Amino acid sequence: MEDELEKSIMEEIKSGQVKIRSKYVFVAEKLGLGTAFALSVLLSVLFFNLILFYLKETDNLKYLSFGKFGIFAFLESFPYLLVVAFIILIVLSGYLITKSDVSYKKPFGYLAVGMVASIMVMGAVLTSANVGKIIETQARGGMVPARMLLDPMTGVRNSGVAGIVFEEGEGYIVLQTPQGLRNVDLERTEGVPEIEKGQFVVAVGKKEGYDFKADKIRIFEKKDLPAVDRGIESKFGADKKNLPENIFYFEKKESSCVKECFDSGKEHKSCFEECRK
Amino acid sequence: MTEQSSDEQIVSLILKGEKESYREIIRRYEDKLSRYLHKFISDTDDVEDILQVVFIKAYKNLYGFDISKKFSSWIYRIAHNEAVNHLKRRRNKGRVALDDVEYKLIDEKSDIGTEADRKFLKKDMEGVIGKLDLKYREPIVLFYLEEMSYEEISDVLRIPKNTVGTLILRGKKMIKDNLEEINKNYGR
Repeated sequence: MEDELEKSIMEEIKSGQVKIRSKYVFVAEKLGLGTAFALSVLLSVLFFNLILFYLKETDNLKYLSFGKFGIFAFLESFPYLLVVAFIILIVLSGYLITKSDVSYKKPFGYLAVGMVASIMVMGAVLTSANVGKIIETQARGGMVPARMLLDPMTGVRNSGVAGIVFEEGEGYIVLQTPQGLRNVDLERTEGVPEIEKGQFVVAVGKKEGYDFKADKIRIFEKKDLPAVDRGIESKFGADKKNLPENIFYFEKKESSCVKECFDSGKEHKSCFEECRK
Repeated sequence: MTEQSSDEQIVSLILKGEKESYREIIRRYEDKLSRYLHKFISDTDDVEDILQVVFIKAYKNLYGFDISKKFSSWIYRIAHNEAVNHLKRRRNKGRVALDDVEYKLIDEKSDIGTEADRKFLKKDMEGVIGKLDLKYREPIVLFYLEEMSYEEISDVLRIPKNTVGTLILRGKKMIKDNLEEINKNYGR
């Protein structure tokens, strides 16, 4: 016997008021979900690789070797954008997992831990395969969105500096950095080691006006700071001898004055002082 | 289509264009889903409205049903979602209706004595089930009243099988504790 509910539903169905949704809608939904998940996992792997690459190749972690003196420089040069993007992508991947048909079969905690662990392992594999370097090169050529990677890599730090000694003198050194030439004042620096031209150094301290007043300074090997080396090459040319237009990183208009002064054979530091007046 | 045809076979027929076969699905599930929904929603009119929505949604989304799985779990899942949505809208904390089967079930688990006591306590029993948090109430209802397996409950509620077992155990313990409390109040 037909009851009211059955009758009204069947009437709606037969009259065409209620129709079965096309199977292509469901196929598209599944494909969309699968693609979005694959993409977010892939990007998570890529961003984790970039974070590892950044920590391994730049000056960021080197600041921690100065103990408490290096904390500000470490925090300042930390790749926040990369980390935030990575976290967002991980959360998105986790959310998309919960939307899948099988996710509820296992506790979400297990799935999440498994997913994050896999992403980290794959990211580490990419890092060891030097994928980060390829991305960095592409970024320098403007081929991929560079901001997230290159900004923290090449940005000016107020509490730390890393570069190659370009000139050394009494109580100061001039460094080639990925940002340009930078004068580092060593007047108040504790335990200054024997520094020679061409060495890689990392210093912590404070930017005061045009100069960087170093509290501590350490010599590093070239292999410890490959990204800094590449940044300098990009600024000063492969042999690191070209003086680019903007050699002095914070005042473009003074660059030509400094360059003329350099050409006249004066000490670089005195050229800086002269041109700032 | 025969009366022995499985739900999944009927769904296949509907998808091939035999709309009329959906009548059989409604007949098979109307009472079951109505009873299930009544465990969470006390208002009969609301239950009927939700039931209609459930059947319409199920029909519209038939291609979304994976024919290799159990249809019953799928349609209960739709009913579950609709019930949860309704409860969210209404914040319905009303008492639930208790039928003889579930009364027997709870009775078995809680050592409540005589027929007289049972009748006397029936109102409280309804309250006990009704006051159970939804996350315990649902697996209890599906397991004992709808006689579903852990696997099916897992498919309906979209939680792992182990969690289903844990929730049922905890729910039973809560019922037992509450009944003991009621027993004390009656001075037994």
